This record gives sequence, structure tokens and C-alpha cells, in this order.
Amino acid sequence: MNTMKVNNAKSHFVAVASIAAELSAVMEVAKEISLAAANAKAIAFRAGEKAKGFQPITDFINELAKETIELVNDINQHAFRLYQLTVNEHRMSGAYYKFEQVAQNSTKMHYASSLTKPLNRAKINMLECRKEFNQSLSRLLEQLAEVMHPARAARVIAANSRIEASQAGEYLQGLQAVAESVDHAAQVIHEKVQKCRSALSVINLDS
Amino acid sequence: MKITKIYEGAYQWIMYGRDPNKPEKIIDTNQYAVRTKKRCLLIDPGGVELFAPMLSAVLHDAPVEEITDLFASHQDPDIISSLGLWDQALPNAKLHASGLWEGFLRHFGCENIEYIPIADNGGVISLDNVEIQIVPAHYLHASANFHLYDPEAKIFMSGDVGAALEPAGVPVFVEDFDSHIEKMRFFHQRWMPSEQAKRVWIDKVRDLEIDILAPQHGRMFQGDDVKRFLDWFEGLQIGMAIKN
Repeated sequence: MNTMKVNNAKSHFVAVASIAAELSAVMEVAKEISLAAANAKAIAFRAGEKAKGFQPITDFINELAKETIELVNDINQHAFRLYQLTVNEHRMSGAYYKFEQVAQNSTKMHYASSLTKPLNRAKINMLECRKEFNQSLSRLLEQLAEVMHPARAARVIAANSRIEASQAGEYLQGLQAVAESVDHAAQVIHEKVQKCRSALSVINLDS
Repeated sequence: MKITKIYEGAYQWIMYGRDPNKPEKIIDTNQYAVRTKKRCLLIDPGGVELFAPMLSAVLHDAPVEEITDLFASHQDPDIISSLGLWDQALPNAKLHASGLWEGFLRHFGCENIEYIPIADNGGVISLDNVEIQIVPAHYLHASANFHLYDPEAKIFMSGDVGAALEPAGVPVFVEDFDSHIEKMRFFHQRWMPSEQAKRVWIDKVRDLEIDILAPQHGRMFQGDDVKRFLDWFEGLQIGMAIKN
């Protein structure tokens, strides 16, 4: 295996492993949104008529947090599978390149031709593994795009929350804080998910 | 890779070693094979760096589909870190290794090869009509460790016992036992931890008829040098790294 291939393999491992760290941060933020929703609900209840417009928003915020947590759980499982496929692909490619090396160095050996079958099998295994890896990678990128939707929706909800909060009298500050918290969380999720996508974009396996 | 036939009867014992292309910082190792009519057992097949030259050399003696068995004396990387590659090359083969090491050895990759766990009291590997005895050698040096004995060829594969660290390209057999002693002393004192295990092993091995004692590093012992080695090892104080 040449240096370029080794470096590529290293960057795949790092890219796939780094997603787990980013996703765990997304999960924390999603839990924060859920907490903000509960907090908003309590304030809106106390505010009564003054925060009437805010009450349905708290339900939206809660739904958003649930949706994000579910999506991130799915993505985490998928990212773990992708990591296993990275290990498999690394092993299969390693085996294939070694077998090629053996074939080149064994032409004069009595039983050299017996290597043809394992060499072909290793190539098929490697290509199948790469295909599965590439499919899994595309699916993961799609899922990461999906998780951006609730994040975008959260920013819209945050803007609406600010408007509703402005009519809540003495509860203005409390509800504004909720709106800020949701907005901040949405920004962090957006940023972390973008990081995951750029980490994965460096991966390019020829199939 | 140098190929040396060390027994030739109805079947063969072959030693592979002294690879001239071995990376400098990797310890030199001896690999062995028992080649019967339709089967081939690779003994301590080596580290991942050695896989390509090793398989290439074995193709001199056996086709891939007849390499049916692997044996790992213990878990060290110079013994068996090539397992993941053999696993791809020989999907129908069996690996004979200590049951205690199974969960550890699988880290090297063992999806296809069948792991045959060896019990602490040893066992037998049958190849066509040849029976190779698996002799316990625990704590010499690994906590679960085995050697192989072939009573017909009178060859005893002794793993790290009898090993010496020498420059590349030295002869495969000890030629002057006395001058060889200093090449073995530190290795045995530092790597072998248990006097009790050594005594049990010596008592057992003295009862065997051995023409060649074949370690995993350095040179093999033949003829009277086998007894000279056992006497020397018996008198050597081992487990020397403990300081008050």
C-alpha cells in the first residue's frame, strides 16, 4: 500500500470518528431546547392571557427538540455503522494490496497460480465493501441534511417567540430569554452539523 | 525469505526466516511449516509486515487452498499480527491458539478463519496422518503459551525459549554453543518470568526425544546442543527485572 493510500485511510478514520464528537454536542443542545420549552411553558402558564400567543409556540419548541433528538440518535447509529465499514474497507483494501504484492513477488514459485482465486476474491470483497461504504456515506449525508430542517425551523420559532414575548408585559424578559436560548441552540446545531458534513466531504473512495 | 527444509520424510518441516527486506526496527522471526500430503500448518506465521514475503515463500511449498491450519504459540504481534490478512487469504483455515487469548487475538481480524481454542493442558493438531502434540509452556514467556512437538520428526518448536537476538543473516543452526550463550542470556532472564514454570517445562521436555529444538527467534539447536541448551536454561536464573 502506498503512502497516499495510508493517508487516505487515516483521514477516513478521523473523519468518521470526529462525527461522533460533533453529534454528541448536537444532542446536548437538543436537550437544552427541550428544557427551554418546559421553561417557556411554565412562564406562559403564569403569564396567562398576556402570553396567550406564546403557548402554542412552546409546543412547537418541544416537538422540535424531540425531532432533533430522534434524528441525532438515528444518525449516531448510522455513524457507528459507517465506522465499522471504514474498518472493514481498510482491512479489505489492505489485504488486496498485500495479495497483489505477493502475486508480483511469487511468479517463480511452484504454487503461484493458486493465489489467483484469493486475489480475485479479495478484489471483489474490497469493491463490495467500498460500494456499501459509499452508499452508507450518502445516506448519512442525507440524514445530516435532514437534521438541518428542525434547526432552521427553530430559528423561525425563535423570531416569532421574540414578537410574542414583546406583548407579555412583566414576563417579557423571561420569554425573551427562552427565545434567545432556542435561537442560540439552533445556531450551534447548524454549525455542528455543517462540521460533520465538511468532515465527511473529504472522503472519496473509488469503487 | 530464506527457506530451509529441516525434516524430510513422508512429510516436511520447513523453516522460513532471515528476510532480507525486513524493516530494520522489527524483530527478526523464524516461521515454520509442517507440510503433509494435502495440508500445511503454519507455525507462528509472523507479524503483519511479514505477511507478503511469508506467503510468497510458502507458495514454494504449498498452494493457498492447502494451507489449512495456523498455530500461534502466544499472542504477541511478531507471532500473529498478520492474522487479519491470513483471514482474507485462507477463509477456510483453522487457527489453533490458546482459548485464553481468543478475545485478544480477534483484534487482529478473524472473521473467516475458525478459531480452535487450545485448553491449558494442550492437545493435538492432526494433519493427514501426522499428529503434532501441543505442549503447554505457560509463563514462558506469555501467561498462556504453547510449544509444538513432533515425535516422528523429533522436532520441538520452542517459541521464545531458546531465542537469541542476533544481526540479520546469521546461520540458521547454532554452530558453537558456548559462544551462543551470551546472545541468549539477557533475552531469557528478562522475558521469562517464572522459575517454577521453567522447572516444570524442563522436566517435561527432557523426557522427549528431540533432534531439533526450533525457537521463534535466532538459531535452531540440533543434536547434542539440544541437551546443552536444556542444561544451560535449567541453571539460569530468570525473572530478573525486579529490583528492591
